[in-house]
Amino acid sequence: MTTTKQPTPTRTPPVLRRRRHGPLAELGLGIYHFFHKKKVGLLLILALTIMALIGVLFPQVSPELIADEGSYQSWLDDQRMTYGGWTAVLSFVRAFSMFSSPAFAIVTTLLALSIIACTVHRLPLLWQQATHPRLHAAERLFDRSRLRATLEVPLPPDEAAQHASKLLTGMRFRVLDDPKGPGTNLFADRNRFAPFGTVAAHLAFVLILLGVLFSGSMGFREGQFTVAAGSTRDIGHSTGLNVEVLSFADTYHADGRPKDYVSDVVLREDGQEVARQEVRVNTPLRHNGVKINQSYFGVAADMSVAAADGGVLYDDGLPLEWTNEDETLSYASFRLEEPDLLVYVVAPASGQVNEAIGPGQVRVEVYPGDEDVPSATEIITQGQPAVIEDLTFTFEREQKYTGLMVSRDPGATWVWVGSILLLLGTYLTMGLRHHRVWVRVTPHGPHSIVRLGCPDRIDLAFEPRFRRLADDLTRPPRPTNKEG
Amino acid sequence: MLDVSNLLHNAALLLVALALIGNVAAVATRARLHRAEVPAESRVAVGAGGPDTAFDEAHEPDAPAPHGLGWYSDRLLELSFVVLTISLVLRSIVTGHAPFANQFEFSTAFAWAVVGCFVYFEWRYKIRGLALLVLPITVALLFYASNLESDVSPLIPALQNSLLLTLHVFTAVIGNGAAAVSFAAAVLFLLHRHIPWKIPPSEEVLEEIGYRAVVLAFPMLTLMIVLGALWADTAWGRYWSWDPKETAALVTWLIYGAYLHARVIAGWRGNRAAWLLILGFVAVLFTFLGNHWFGGLHSYA
Repeated sequence: MTTTKQPTPTRTPPVLRRRRHGPLAELGLGIYHFFHKKKVGLLLILALTIMALIGVLFPQVSPELIADEGSYQSWLDDQRMTYGGWTAVLSFVRAFSMFSSPAFAIVTTLLALSIIACTVHRLPLLWQQATHPRLHAAERLFDRSRLRATLEVPLPPDEAAQHASKLLTGMRFRVLDDPKGPGTNLFADRNRFAPFGTVAAHLAFVLILLGVLFSGSMGFREGQFTVAAGSTRDIGHSTGLNVEVLSFADTYHADGRPKDYVSDVVLREDGQEVARQEVRVNTPLRHNGVKINQSYFGVAADMSVAAADGGVLYDDGLPLEWTNEDETLSYASFRLEEPDLLVYVVAPASGQVNEAIGPGQVRVEVYPGDEDVPSATEIITQGQPAVIEDLTFTFEREQKYTGLMVSRDPGATWVWVGSILLLLGTYLTMGLRHHRVWVRVTPHGPHSIVRLGCPDRIDLAFEPRFRRLADDLTRPPRPTNKEG
Repeated sequence: MLDVSNLLHNAALLLVALALIGNVAAVATRARLHRAEVPAESRVAVGAGGPDTAFDEAHEPDAPAPHGLGWYSDRLLELSFVVLTISLVLRSIVTGHAPFANQFEFSTAFAWAVVGCFVYFEWRYKIRGLALLVLPITVALLFYASNLESDVSPLIPALQNSLLLTLHVFTAVIGNGAAAVSFAAAVLFLLHRHIPWKIPPSEEVLEEIGYRAVVLAFPMLTLMIVLGALWADTAWGRYWSWDPKETAALVTWLIYGAYLHARVIAGWRGNRAAWLLILGFVAVLFTFLGNHWFGGLHSYA
């Protein structure tokens, strides 16, 4: 917010001789010059902010739902009650799917490019400031710096310079001699490597993005991995792993608030048990990069189907994880291979009462092949076998299923390393400011005039230290005892 | 013990309100005196004959007269901070976890952080004028909390992670508190040239105070987001879900990130940077109050 231009140490303006490059190199340089401008970076941050805000203000749908045209249209129809005629416009501009929109990906990519260009552009300057700073200051630096002092020190110039050097070293400044005149000159700075924190923080952003991209392309995530208690299910994704859920329990406090959700899980790899754990919301099971989290639960139906000759065609817990549109019924399906039948099992949803399907009952609908019309529909009671299409269906019992999230996130390590780098960089940049002080000592009779100048931006935390330095300078150092 | 905690909460509200009234009177008195003063030439002769100490005019602290109105306001505010701290500690003893698990607790902790940050900045930089903006925010937060359900409820499974609950929300609370101070500095910065009397601090100092507050707020918000991601990875199976509340926190973080960049860009310093600070605090409030309309994974908090 400062508008006053502070003096800078003398430096000869570099003579820029633009070398001639080929058209491609010129284009590349042009792009680079565009991206390393801080204003471009700022505008991209603001663009990303606005997009994220849109994502907060409007309900977001998953990419999977958008991919399913029918489901998405149905979802949009629901939104018309809120957004009316604007629904189609909002859908067109991807307001409902902002974070998977091409515009969001483009702005994020441009920001990453801007960060890389800015960092590359800034690194040589930071390195030069840290290792080869400008030692010499023009007189106007001592005349115009915001923090400055002109002091009469009761010491000859050499001793006054030594005194200043000692005080600055005591303040943990690096002190360098400037051989140029007039008088004796010193340059001192502190936290010279702190500005590299910006490099760390900016690269962290890129690293986190790479981590997310890596996870997206090399990992997997099964958000609705349902397993009925007592059942086993393969994880797939070439892991060779399967999950057996021995039990699931949900417990509640006296006031009805949930207390705990716990799945007793056995993890097997190629048939061998490799882990067993009670998976809770805050205690996932981790094995070889695969993570299993407790996510949700519901009602399952233990079903068995036997052929006319007594052969068992199906015997498993079936998580009733889907609901109809008005959410009064829960259902799930399984397919029999021989005969080719698709079997739906329907029950009242949790907390719902259905006149046709009573407690302890399910409705079984049998669809031959890919037909849309069931060949048979029957309500069966728990423990009472029923013959449908020459097959014996038994609803053994009702029980619970657990909804797990199974994922492999190979980019997560990059994300965490990026996060640490981001924190480190932020702390370095903001917690440790780079302070620079120029000192000029000239003779004044038997004494010296010491001028101090600090052209950096205002820093209220540094001002008292600068003031103390000036005060200490006017006091001659205590004589040291040299005995023996 | 819970009753005592609630009583102390209300006592703190009263103390902050009194401190606000005291500060308004102290600032008004100072402004009146300042208008009556003839501006003095503050420059010191430059040259070998005497010291030229430009730093003396850099920042004139707004120190209260001993046992004046300002002094009593400062003590009242410090007392309110202590009272609020005891209230939160007692509540933590009753609940068995840090007082960050519902909107009542978070609002109270937010107010505690605003008072704490302001007490620090007031002590460090003696900028009384900030009280006129910071303390109404504190009063509003405590009043809002007073109207929320303050009964103790057991933690739901997702919140049963004492370490991350404490660290994640504590960093949010401190970040929000510091953001309130930066907001106040930005508003004063924008008003500074429009008010008829020129009382300290200067625009430059207000800009620095705003930045100093962000130096505290931004790393805290960064840490809050990182810890939130770590917790989300443990509890929800993914470190980022574009959940409305976490995205709103990201929006806040991006605005402060934009501010930090704006400060070093010619044409964006001054007013525009100050507006970004104001926008940042609006985003903080939006994220904080978002529970009333956000759904998603943070709907319980």
